[in-house]
Amino acid sequence: MTSTTQTDQFIAVVETNKRVIYKVANSYCRRTDDREDLVQEIITQLWRSFDKYNHEYKPSTWIYRISLNVAISFYRKDNRRKKITNPLHESILNLPDEKSEAETDANLNLLQQFILELKELDRALMLLYLEEKSHKEISEIMGITETNVATKIGRIKILLKKKFESIKF
Amino acid sequence: MENIDIINLWKLYDKKLEENLVINRKNAEEITKLKVQSLLKSMRPVKIFIVLTGIAWVVFVDILIFKFFSIASPFLLFSAIAHVLLTKLALGIYLYQLILIQQVDVSVPVVLAQGKLTQLKSSTLWVTRLSFLQLPLWTIFYWNKSMLENANIWWLMIQLLVSTSFFAISVWLFLNIKFENKDKKWFRYIVGGIEWNPVIKSIELCREIEEFRQEI
Repeated sequence: MTSTTQTDQFIAVVETNKRVIYKVANSYCRRTDDREDLVQEIITQLWRSFDKYNHEYKPSTWIYRISLNVAISFYRKDNRRKKITNPLHESILNLPDEKSEAETDANLNLLQQFILELKELDRALMLLYLEEKSHKEISEIMGITETNVATKIGRIKILLKKKFESIKF
Repeated sequence: MENIDIINLWKLYDKKLEENLVINRKNAEEITKLKVQSLLKSMRPVKIFIVLTGIAWVVFVDILIFKFFSIASPFLLFSAIAHVLLTKLALGIYLYQLILIQQVDVSVPVVLAQGKLTQLKSSTLWVTRLSFLQLPLWTIFYWNKSMLENANIWWLMIQLLVSTSFFAISVWLFLNIKFENKDKKWFRYIVGGIEWNPVIKSIELCREIEEFRQEI
């Protein structure tokens, strides 16, 4: 495989999964600057692991594992290391009119706020639940048993419902 | 709002992203050309340097102990042996960290990768605890028999007070520099600052991982 072909394949993977990358980054970093850095770091780590992709798992499992692992680790990093691993100064994923989009949907804002309030691992689980991933895939991404996934998803559903009910009434 | 409505809300958000999210292809291509370091590999050179310097230092002190064992004062020997043992333990932690850095792979399941990353960070707290344990040694290594026999009683009292205090403080710090005390003022003063936040957050996540793994 030539390196140009590999680059093209990689860009195609990023293009297909750009929403996943953005949603994960946005769920862990709400500040635009941090989110841009995180998107860059996720794409960098995806490229570093691109050669080692394990075909035993679905591409989405691979994307989620790397995106979530990088996002969860990212918030603990110090600024010096952020500069070492994020050398580009421009963003890779751009969302025009981002602010007005969010402002128009109060419920979406509330949901995103709720996601941000969760602990790091519960946040990952919540994202996978909202993405309607199967319990099997969630268990492969997170590294816990399917039974454990089912129990935790059940709890998240109750929490979500309560959260929205408390706002409505 | 029912859960199905929430899922639909998320789908709507996804649709909006599908329509509006634009990838900057040029910048994405740049990533593939850069020789970037992994999340952790940037930490490796510093740790390797510390390990190599540490090994050179303990070898040097070991040679001195061996060479002057018969003529050195018991206080100097005790201080040197204790210091070299504690340094060897700290070096062991750095070596363990280097092995973990080599093992961490972000494409493995989240709980597994985060478990390794948090172990790596939280072990730094052990190096600090061991460093404090060395404190009293620096107050006794220069003692010798003739000094103790001929010294002024006040000087001896002050010396004893300083060494005892350092011993008590170092043992207390060794026992108390732990995650449970992270919110205490003295802890924030000693183990505070931006560089320590990742360590504290890692230990917090370590606890979260333990809870997350449990099937309750």
